[in-house]
Amino acid sequence: MSSTEFFNQGPEVWIVDGLRTPFAKSGTALKDMKAVTLGVHTLRDLLYKMSLDPKTVDEVVIGNTGNPEDAANISRIIALESGIPQNVPAYTVHRNCASALESVTQGVIKIKSGLADIVVVGGTESMSNMPLIYSKPMTNLFGQLMTAKTPAAKLNALTKFRPGFLKPIIAIQEGLTDAVCGLNMGQTAELLAKENGITRDDQDRFAVRSHEKAVAATESGRFKKEISPIPLPPKYDKFLEEDVGPRKGQSLEALGKLKPYFDRANGTVTVGNACPITDGACMLILMRADKAKALGYRPLGKVRSFAWAGLEPERMGLGPAYSSPKALDAAGLQMKDMGLVELNEAFAAQVIAVQKMSASKKFAQEKLGRSEAVGEIRDEILNVNGGAIALGHPVGTTGARLVLTLAKEMQIRDVQFGLATLCIGGGQGGSLIVEKV
Amino acid sequence: MNGGISMEKTQHSKSASSDTGSTFRVVDYNTTFPGVFGLHFDLPGQKVNKLDDKVMGELDAQIQKLATRSDIKALVIFSDKEGIFIAGADIQMIQGVHDKETGTKLAASGQTVIAKLEKLKFPVIAAVNGACMGGGTELALCCKMIVTSDSPSTKIALPEVNLGILPGFGGTVRLPERIGLQAAMDYILSGKTMDGQKAVKVGLADACVPAQDFKNRVLKIAADVAAGKFRSQKRAVTGTAKLQKTLLEMNPIGRAVLFSQAKKMILSRTRGKYPAPLKILELLNKQAGASRDKKLKLESIAFGELAVTDVSKRLIELFFATEGIKKQSGVPGFKLDPKDKVTRMGLLGAGVMGGGIAQLMAHRNIPVRMKDISYAGLSAGMAASSKIFAGLVKKRKLTKREADIRLGLISPTLDYSGFGAVDLVIEAVLEDMNVKKKVIKDVEPLLAKNTIFATNTSSLSVTEMATACERPENFVGMHFFNPVHKMPLVEVIRGDKTSDRAAAMIFELSKKLGKTPIVVKDGPGFLVNRLLMPYLNEASYLMAEGAPIVELDEHVLDFGMPMGPATLLDEIGIDVAVKVAKVLHQQLGARALPCDLNDKLVAAKLYGKKNGTGFYLYDSKGVRGELNPKIYSTLGVTPRSPSRAVKEEWIPRMIYLMINEAALCLHEKIAATPEDVDIGMIMGTGFPPFRGGVLRYADTVGLPAVVNKLQELSKKVGPRFTPVQPLVELAKAGKSFYSK
Repeated sequence: MSSTEFFNQGPEVWIVDGLRTPFAKSGTALKDMKAVTLGVHTLRDLLYKMSLDPKTVDEVVIGNTGNPEDAANISRIIALESGIPQNVPAYTVHRNCASALESVTQGVIKIKSGLADIVVVGGTESMSNMPLIYSKPMTNLFGQLMTAKTPAAKLNALTKFRPGFLKPIIAIQEGLTDAVCGLNMGQTAELLAKENGITRDDQDRFAVRSHEKAVAATESGRFKKEISPIPLPPKYDKFLEEDVGPRKGQSLEALGKLKPYFDRANGTVTVGNACPITDGACMLILMRADKAKALGYRPLGKVRSFAWAGLEPERMGLGPAYSSPKALDAAGLQMKDMGLVELNEAFAAQVIAVQKMSASKKFAQEKLGRSEAVGEIRDEILNVNGGAIALGHPVGTTGARLVLTLAKEMQIRDVQFGLATLCIGGGQGGSLIVEKV
Repeated sequence: MNGGISMEKTQHSKSASSDTGSTFRVVDYNTTFPGVFGLHFDLPGQKVNKLDDKVMGELDAQIQKLATRSDIKALVIFSDKEGIFIAGADIQMIQGVHDKETGTKLAASGQTVIAKLEKLKFPVIAAVNGACMGGGTELALCCKMIVTSDSPSTKIALPEVNLGILPGFGGTVRLPERIGLQAAMDYILSGKTMDGQKAVKVGLADACVPAQDFKNRVLKIAADVAAGKFRSQKRAVTGTAKLQKTLLEMNPIGRAVLFSQAKKMILSRTRGKYPAPLKILELLNKQAGASRDKKLKLESIAFGELAVTDVSKRLIELFFATEGIKKQSGVPGFKLDPKDKVTRMGLLGAGVMGGGIAQLMAHRNIPVRMKDISYAGLSAGMAASSKIFAGLVKKRKLTKREADIRLGLISPTLDYSGFGAVDLVIEAVLEDMNVKKKVIKDVEPLLAKNTIFATNTSSLSVTEMATACERPENFVGMHFFNPVHKMPLVEVIRGDKTSDRAAAMIFELSKKLGKTPIVVKDGPGFLVNRLLMPYLNEASYLMAEGAPIVELDEHVLDFGMPMGPATLLDEIGIDVAVKVAKVLHQQLGARALPCDLNDKLVAAKLYGKKNGTGFYLYDSKGVRGELNPKIYSTLGVTPRSPSRAVKEEWIPRMIYLMINEAALCLHEKIAATPEDVDIGMIMGTGFPPFRGGVLRYADTVGLPAVVNKLQELSKKVGPRFTPVQPLVELAKAGKSFYSK
């Protein structure tokens, strides 16, 4: 069966509704909330908002990348703590930056293939709570101490200790470094900037626009439609109601003062034109269309198609340029049919590079084996409410956030088709097309 | 019992010595567990095992028979009741004791029977899987070993002190022997429970085994004991603990320190109003160095002395009354459909009260959708809930994780989403009839037709509020007292149209929340506030007449109230008290005319604890300090040291007014029974439990005396003291509130 055939058969899959927490840069407002708590708060609120009986849920699939040490299969924990009955199964998915998009596509596959009617999907991430890990020599030493039976043996083990053993491995740093090509994610963005002649100024301008759009969406109340304000520990005496990241009056001058972070000498990628590491959760409810109708729901939209693609790990930022044409083909659509595009802003350089490649005939011919360019991704329809540079990128959550923000905006603007897409560390791209119902 | 059933059956058919049909049954486990026999306790026709005359007789006979057996190498005492080992001695039996000698004899004969377990030639093992209280614990202490289960229902205690008596079957002798004097004193004086694991830790039990496989594990241990190869899990006392034990318990000076400290603590807690803890201390002191027999004899004498005290009678009556509530549905003759339970609730108004209610629900795993009109409002509720949970974590009642999960059950919202799927809505919005009616009109159309709607009002008419309802039958009052997590009472208020189902659901829920509910009819101030009003009002009149505030508070503490009236007014908030008093005056008429004393404090913005100054001064944490130095000038009163005669009238003036109002409440059927009134006042206001409540107290004083005093005061002080007709009639007929 071709992917076109797959998406044409079987029941329609509706995105019925969704909610997310406000996003907060790691170490700020949400730092004391665990990934589980973020997910539980959001899912519980969503179930109430929809008046959805948790007993009707068939499966819970949630994305997460930095698996908390006390929450193996975090999806199951979130499901149980949110009031989803014990007999409903749950599993966690990990496709790096696209983990939550992976959860959405899992839900689509389940419903399309008749295995489920209602699936909870989404993602949660607390990058504030990613652990420091003991080095291997230190771990070995602990092991020896534990197995040593006599005091002498214990003492003997202790003599092997060296202060260097205490240098921790920072889990988040390891996670953001490509295990195969050895480049840090920021270095992959530097590569794209250099190869495609994307200047510091291009990137900083892009970043400023992201902030401007996100600030506007916050101030107009647009984001209220998708945010579930969350009470803040330790005292729970105030709520976080808005995203922390968007900065009013973010200027080129201010951004221009920042030093390149990943390549101090020759680089152009700064923390100002890249997304910050962030905490947040997002949950969506997918339903088989006729089931949703029977329950009286109106959807945000339906999933028309999706696609995944792989590419060179060192150019992972171009992922969307590979996966989007596949998704468009599967849907029988073209880029020009898209009324809105949500493209994750891991790095400004990477987004601009994707725009360039999509419009490039040469890229299409050399890399995609297509005679014509995929099509321009116009600035006017790209990330109209800002993106991860302003809002932040809670890695395991973003995929669902893109779909939620896209579907809500499609409804507001009465758009027929929209594309949500992101690049994925490790060299992949994921794209999903939403259609108005 | 799990795991043991099939095994027991096979044993049964093989067993020649099985003896069924009575309370005790001997079962032979010898085939699988060499030398092991079981003595199974299963009181016919009862849910629990308890020790009364008849049971003790049967036990005696059983022990004598067992004493002749040479095939028994180890005997295990099992209970065949679910969740219960032995609930203790029959309290009814103790309540029937009216002279010391009978009490002493009762204790002594019990001591004699269970002591025979100690003298058996083979080891006896108590298998405690469930509640083991009082006499049950004392019986277990006569066994060579105790094996507990890790089930949460396994609770071991000597709670006699809570009934105004002491352990009379040797508990004061054997518990110190087994776990040391200091620890034993702690358990006997507080009546607190320990679970199966704790029992091993303190040295009472020798092993704690999994409840799921309890019987097998105990039998295996018994077989090991029979074969002489059992090793106790009990840890020997060593190091500093041993030194401390030696210093405090083994020498007379250390012991004297121990006793004087304990006495000081008891006096500060009870102001000497409860004789049992003091008697227990005296007994433990006297027992030092005496022979076993002498110790037991001293215990039985002390038991007899306590059993006849009024305090013990009152506490036992109260015990029966609260136990009675546990068995009631809240509506006589009505049985609640088990499906009608609250599994999800919506809460309107997230103030401190709302937050407290949310916490209480979430603690019992009921998810709460909490709605307010702003995030500032919701924050107050979330903060209040989280603070209580944090306190529970600090006290180690919950782990951090358990508390987090429960707090996660509270979902804050600004809209009414989710209210369509709840079984109950409780409103805790502003105490204003119009506001509440508007909220009802907004919310009720969103609810399922079976959903119960409860108001947490403390003063507004439930019947009137229900006129805003489309379905007034589902509308009911659920009056929590502040602070919600501490106060044990819930008034379930029936409006004119409240259905039996609605009242019973709230009654049942209150019990599930660990509260004691009483059902009251709608009326001004319901029950508790209506009775509290004349008491506080009279205290204000006394202060206006120049009663020194601290002295008045102290006097009331001596009577046994948990705090004096001025302190209580500060706690409630003087502005709130004034408002409530005015409402009650409007509805109850002239006898409830408020003293204008408190108005002066309100005018000076002295509201009490909540803004730091009232009759007393409060620090930033709300801890009471000195008397407000400007209080008398603010009130325009000169305090006068009262003459003895004046002071003697303080209690009658305040408390007899309560009695008067209570008689009217019974007459108007605000409360259905005198028990409800007394439980309400004890649980809702802390009226001294040892006095048994307002009406028990009145009965103790004697109704004619109460009526006479009221008549005297009505002439001397004012017509508000005029005894009400129902009270006069009761007194005239020579009846008491509790006489049938």
